[in-house]
Amino acid sequence: MTPQKELKLAYSLTIILLVVGVISYAAAPAKTPDEPVRMMFKVVAGNVLFDHKTHTVETGYGLACIDCHHHRAEDEEEEPFLACGYCHQIPKEGEALPQSCVECHEPDEIEDTEMIKRADAFHSQCEECHKDAGIGPVKDEERCAWCHFMM
Amino acid sequence: MLNQKKLIVSHAPFCHDGSSISVRSYHMMIAALPAVLFGFFQYGINAVGVVALSISFAIIWELAINKVTKRSISIGDGNTALIGLLFAMLLPATSPWWLVITGTFVAVVIGKHIFGGIGGNPFNPVLIGLAILMVSWKDFFDFDQALLNYDLGFAMVYPLAAVKHLGTPGIEAFSTGGLLLGQQSGGIGATFGLGLILGGIYLIVRGFIRWEISISFLAGIFITALLFNLNNPTLHAGPLFHLFTGYTLIGAFFLASEDSSSPVNFIPMLIYGAGAGIMTVLVRNLGSYVDGVVFAILLMNLINPIVDKIRPKALGKVV
Ligand code: HEC
Ligand code: HEC
Ligand code: HEC
Ligand code: HEC
Ligand code: HEC
Repeated sequence: MTPQKELKLAYSLTIILLVVGVISYAAAPAKTPDEPVRMMFKVVAGNVLFDHKTHTVETGYGLACIDCHHHRAEDEEEEPFLACGYCHQIPKEGEALPQSCVECHEPDEIEDTEMIKRADAFHSQCEECHKDAGIGPVKDEERCAWCHFMM
Repeated sequence: MLNQKKLIVSHAPFCHDGSSISVRSYHMMIAALPAVLFGFFQYGINAVGVVALSISFAIIWELAINKVTKRSISIGDGNTALIGLLFAMLLPATSPWWLVITGTFVAVVIGKHIFGGIGGNPFNPVLIGLAILMVSWKDFFDFDQALLNYDLGFAMVYPLAAVKHLGTPGIEAFSTGGLLLGQQSGGIGATFGLGLILGGIYLIVRGFIRWEISISFLAGIFITALLFNLNNPTLHAGPLFHLFTGYTLIGAFFLASEDSSSPVNFIPMLIYGAGAGIMTVLVRNLGSYVDGVVFAILLMNLINPIVDKIRPKALGKVV
């Protein structure tokens, strides 16, 4: 190839790839699917990688949605699955319960409910099930690192 | 006129394989194609976007620096397109556009042209770009986090992260064959082992890269990983796992062998390759980073000039 031809090739390559690149970025599908595949919880103690899909599908661990998304009307298909932190949060100053409760409840009907905060909700739900089923490392000191990937 | 320039001696490398730079660049890009196409197949349009944008911007930055420094236009030699391609191959498919544009800027302008352009760079430009980005935006290079929404039908945890955090019980889901066939998460063009090996063999046979570097790099990884594995088999993965995960194969055939940052003499090439291999496994097994290929090769780039001093003495030379 002569230098002129090489230069022409490089210019055409640049223009074509620039167009392809911009179109691909514009056309790339939205990032978050309706139902999460995997999720990463960012924690100072080390990030937790949770394989949502494998926990739910039949070929994985085959759990029912309600096993984890525990606080919802069982028969209502339409109702969205809420993040745990939506309810499991520290109530604002002066309030007994998180604001989100009153979207579905009258304040007086739920007055004496004990709420646990988000991280505790995770720990107790995830671990109750795992320990019942004998999953994960046996030694307690290895358990934290099993979920929390220290960087 | 005393300061008249009569003869300008350029930097190393002087090693000439008989073909021009452009032939070499385009052959390296062709050799990388199987692995890149496999990445397109796995990650779809996101991967296409990253690769296309990376190559085009690498060329654009080179063109810009040619204009700014008023030098002749050097994009025709394909070297910068190759930098763009290799850079994209190391990225996760979900890399945002600004990361690609910044990265190619660092690779081409800081990695290559600050040192005087092609042949003058003491470090591999691709790795300079990647290392600076990895340090600045760590999260984008955490493949577990970057590829959260992909389900490709195999264990999607990044193999090197799994073994680092969980030891060998964490990597039971991976088989050597599966790893070779690209059944692992990772960079767009860095996971398809078989494709990278075929590309590498092609480049070695055609004389575009030096087998001494590639093979000693792989041998360094194999032996070091084996020693660690024998020492503690539940904590450290075996040698084959290290050969076929992370950036090992793309590093062996496409990165460590970059010519102006690697030695040209036989023994130095072996030392350079093996040193990078050993360092890679040390970082993986003992360091805080999940993969060590990038920093290991950069480190060997740094001591390359000293290593390359080891050469046979000329006959009859005094001193
Ligand atoms: C093993 C426990 C578990 C099971 C089983 C499970 N989920 Fe989840 N799901 C979670 C956790 C944990 C989250 C994260 C909540 C958060 O971010 O606070 C979540 C989040 C979600 C979200 C996103 C909510 C949001 O607003 O961020 C959706 C949607 C969802 N799950 C749907 C489902 C469906 C549908 C099923 C049944 C097929 C299901 N989940 C089964 C644990 C589970
Ligand atoms: C719509 C509100 C809401 C959401 C969303 C929600 N919780 Fe709860 N959770 C509650 C309430 C209210 C209680 C206390 C009353 C009860 O036991 O039902 C509770 C109690 C718990 C408890 C203690 C149960 C026990 O037996 O003591 C755990 C553990 C828990 N939640 C985990 C989770 C996890 C994990 C998620 C996310 C996957 C989640 N919750 C999402 C409202 C919610
Ligand atoms: C998305 C709507 C929604 C939100 C938000 C919500 N709940 Fe509920 N809650 C329900 C439904 C639906 C039921 C009925 C569940 C059933 O019949 O199994 C219920 C039942 C309850 C009960 C009775 C439980 C029982 O076993 O009888 C309590 C207590 C309660 N909720 C407390 C809370 C508290 C506290 C909050 C705020 C943290 C909250 N809820 C937020 C929908 C909601
Ligand atoms: C209702 C039961 C249940 C709950 C709740 C549950 N898990 Fe699991 N988990 C399982 C089962 C079953 C396995 C499969 C273990 C095996 O087969 O080796 C598993 C495996 C795992 C593993 C190891 C394998 C993998 O998929 O990566 C991790 C990590 C894990 N779970 C994290 C979590 C986290 C985090 C939560 C809470 C958000 C959680 N799990 C909640 C049942 C549960
Ligand atoms: C089953 C998986 C699992 C195990 C085992 C586990 N964790 Fe967690 N941990 C989580 C998840 C999920 C969160 C919630 C992340 C969030 O809030 O986004 C969390 C949150 C935390 C937090 C942050 C708390 C806060 O208030 O923000 C700390 C600290 C922590 N874990 C420590 C530990 C320690 C110590 C252990 C060992 C005893 C442990 N974890 C074991 C999954 C786990």
